[in-house]
Amino acid sequence: MAQFWLAFGFGLVTASVLAIAAVGLSLQFGITNYINFAYGDFMALGSYLTYEVNTSLLHWNVWIALVFGSLAMGVIAVLLNRFLLGPFARRFQRSFFVLIVTFGLSLIMLNVIYSIWGTNVRSYNMPIEQVLHIGPFLLTRNQLIVMAISVVLMVLVHVMLKTTRLGKSMRAMSDNTTLAMTSGIDTRRITTITWFLSGTLAGLAGTVLAITEGNLTPASGELFLFVIFAAVIVGGVGSIYGAMAGAVLIGLTTEVSAAFINPAYKLDIAFIILILTLLFRPSGLFARPERA
Amino acid sequence: MTSTGQSMSSPDAFSESILSCENITKSFLGVNALNGATFDVPKNKITALIGPNGAGKTTLVNILSGAMKSDSGTTHLGSVDVTNLESYKIARMGLMRTFQLSRELGGLTVLENLLVAPKVQAGESLFNIFLRPRLLQREERQNIERATEILATYGLYELRDNRARELSGGQKKLLEISRGVMAAPTVFLLDEPMAGVNPALIDRIAGYILDMKRQGMTVLMIEHNLNVVEKICDFVIVLAEGKTLATGRLSELRANPEVVQAYLGEVISAGTTN
Amino acid sequence: MSAFWYYVFTLVFFLFDYFILAMGLNIQYGETGILNFAYIGFVAIGAYMTGVAGMPNAGTSGQHYILGLNLPFPINLIIGGLSASALAFLVALITLRRLRTDYLAMVLISLSLVLYDISNNFIPLFNGADGLYNVPEPFASALKLTTNSFVPFFAGVAGVVALILWFFMSRITRSPLGRTLRAIRDDPTVASALGKGVFRYQLTSMLVGSFYAGVGGGLLIQFGGSFNPTAWLPGETFVIFAVIIVGGVGNNVGMLVGALVVETLLIHLPAFLPAIPGHPGLIEYIDTMVIGVVLMIMLWFRPQGIVPERVRRSKFLLPDFAPSGGGAVIAPTGPAIPTEEAAGAGPPFFIEEKDV
Repeated sequence: MAQFWLAFGFGLVTASVLAIAAVGLSLQFGITNYINFAYGDFMALGSYLTYEVNTSLLHWNVWIALVFGSLAMGVIAVLLNRFLLGPFARRFQRSFFVLIVTFGLSLIMLNVIYSIWGTNVRSYNMPIEQVLHIGPFLLTRNQLIVMAISVVLMVLVHVMLKTTRLGKSMRAMSDNTTLAMTSGIDTRRITTITWFLSGTLAGLAGTVLAITEGNLTPASGELFLFVIFAAVIVGGVGSIYGAMAGAVLIGLTTEVSAAFINPAYKLDIAFIILILTLLFRPSGLFARPERA
Repeated sequence: MTSTGQSMSSPDAFSESILSCENITKSFLGVNALNGATFDVPKNKITALIGPNGAGKTTLVNILSGAMKSDSGTTHLGSVDVTNLESYKIARMGLMRTFQLSRELGGLTVLENLLVAPKVQAGESLFNIFLRPRLLQREERQNIERATEILATYGLYELRDNRARELSGGQKKLLEISRGVMAAPTVFLLDEPMAGVNPALIDRIAGYILDMKRQGMTVLMIEHNLNVVEKICDFVIVLAEGKTLATGRLSELRANPEVVQAYLGEVISAGTTN
Repeated sequence: MSAFWYYVFTLVFFLFDYFILAMGLNIQYGETGILNFAYIGFVAIGAYMTGVAGMPNAGTSGQHYILGLNLPFPINLIIGGLSASALAFLVALITLRRLRTDYLAMVLISLSLVLYDISNNFIPLFNGADGLYNVPEPFASALKLTTNSFVPFFAGVAGVVALILWFFMSRITRSPLGRTLRAIRDDPTVASALGKGVFRYQLTSMLVGSFYAGVGGGLLIQFGGSFNPTAWLPGETFVIFAVIIVGGVGNNVGMLVGALVVETLLIHLPAFLPAIPGHPGLIEYIDTMVIGVVLMIMLWFRPQGIVPERVRRSKFLLPDFAPSGGGAVIAPTGPAIPTEEAAGAGPPFFIEEKDV
């Protein structure tokens, strides 16, 4: 039983990372209506930008560097949308092309990271952590901070969507872009802001993933991508709250299962849940109602 | 039949019903698009489905053709219950439809668009392609000959080798209708076949629709232009707020104050001016 | 044989092999519109199954693998192709019916990553990260081929297989089946409204394309003699997408051109460039980026590819094409719509009064 609670604690950490990543992906999907297959590499690049500021450029504390890395990734996402993805999405009606472009972008970004930082495993410059006993859990201070960041972000996203003008415009656009445009919403501005938020959350998720794992590798984001997809599909594609719920479900199941099976396969559990969802509830566990 | 309309003549006055629906409901995000639509479409007649915008006409065509599932209610094609069957199964039973905004198969040529339409083709099986090439050739020749005749009738013959996406709006409308005819349906649902085409073409399309009836098809068409309805349609179904408001001949409906209030009055006064 | 010719024949082999792989992905994506981001996974399964069907019983070799049937070429290759199709059947059954294009692509790329993860970790089945090695070279002992002479010989074998598969594929794409697949690609809703069971055709396309993937993979493993899990990362799928998009989606000849440009010129030739001192692997990384950029440029400026999809003209469909209509526009056979004057003579259902 002790082992179960230990794994449950790790599950909460994974769920926290996953929730940040899944919400970032879902925000952008809701607005642009296509999946960004380079999202895993957005995460990786964000974590390396943090690394650069943390270890060589400015030697900032990792938590401050993280803010820089995330925001920089947000800006990069905006630029990529402005000059690459946006034009493709507008020019070609069917989503095939832009999906292939994001897939290609993923390969390019991965190789950019390889070229600059090489393939070696690296780690942030941060003090060795004491493990803390909190109830039945064994967690480091860093893991606790990650969980706190995640919870605060989820609340912020919720408040933004429900109360701000921006959030209301975003929800209107995600329901019906044409209608939103005719009712005077500046869809282009909203799209830009959404890409900024999505990129920032990706960079943040990539960095906290590297912090909780204890190291960074170029392909870590890409390999994490299918876990994000699992969370998003289980939660119901396009639903922000579904993404949060899916993240908790997938995060807990993968880590708890790792206590009982070979941990090498723990992420594959996410895929099994994904398949079961497709078989029995293809629109997701927390799907919103059918659209016209 | 429905509960609301008054001067309703039953399709018995015409002939037996071939397509019918009963108490169809459908809602999107909590908004009711259809609210218990019920009617019969008489066999081998041209029936118009009219109603104000948002009455649920296109939703109804989508449900009848299987492109969309209804929330409740039943649909019958002949005596067969086709409620919420997949659209390809309904199509194979002989029901074709067109779309409000033409949907051509853009990468295929005009001729190929028609050649796709025959419902069962031996050449669509891997087995036949490699083991029965002669059967394939014979079938393909028959289909091409028939498609050529139809294209000639619809004035698209010269365009046969053009990709469908290169056609003009009116030509795409004609292509879509001729593609449906190629499938030799028993029931043909036309979703605003005259919308957005020039007056000369309206007359031609009306002629084609009369031709379909002459060939034994049953036509159900969504149409806003009451002049056209008046000229070619035998029977009219009025849909308002997702319900069947009334059915009958247009002349009878014009005497129905409910119908006039819901729809006819304004459109007629606007329609007679053009 | 000189090193030069050795490399030339290596390039020739990859040209033929990627031609086969491209034809398989083309029928799925180019003809049917299935965005199969897991394609390399089917190549990997084909490679693995071809390998273990041709290898002797694992026994004391120190490797872990299943089967070990010691089957001769090309039976092992066919088993590889059929295994890939079998996986495709399973995947299609679960995913195709339920998902729209981009969700399907999400699930498939996940599948690709999971297959990679499993083959990299699961030792009893896939020998883990070590993969397979000592995969027998077909005919090598019978024909007393050396390592050097095997390369040109097997490039020829790949050429023959590619030719046969090309023949089959062009029969399929020319047939009414191919036409229906393209109809589904252009608009699945319309195809369905025309009575086409979209799922059945997509399934056919997945099975055929995956067979090609499996055979292409089987040839790869027999050429190289080993199976290395890292060769099957999802990025490899992108390379094959680049081949078909550069070559010309929907055109089988385009696949050969695409394989020549992308696989031979962009991937294998730069491998001969000297490494940049102090930066091992940099050329390879830049090369991969170049492929990505080339693909995006192609998609923007020439989305139809170098050899665009053929317009299937009526003469091509039926050589002695002679329409009965003679090309003239024929008016509707019935009387045209009654004019205002003729209205009184109209059909009995005609309405006389105009006003409500």
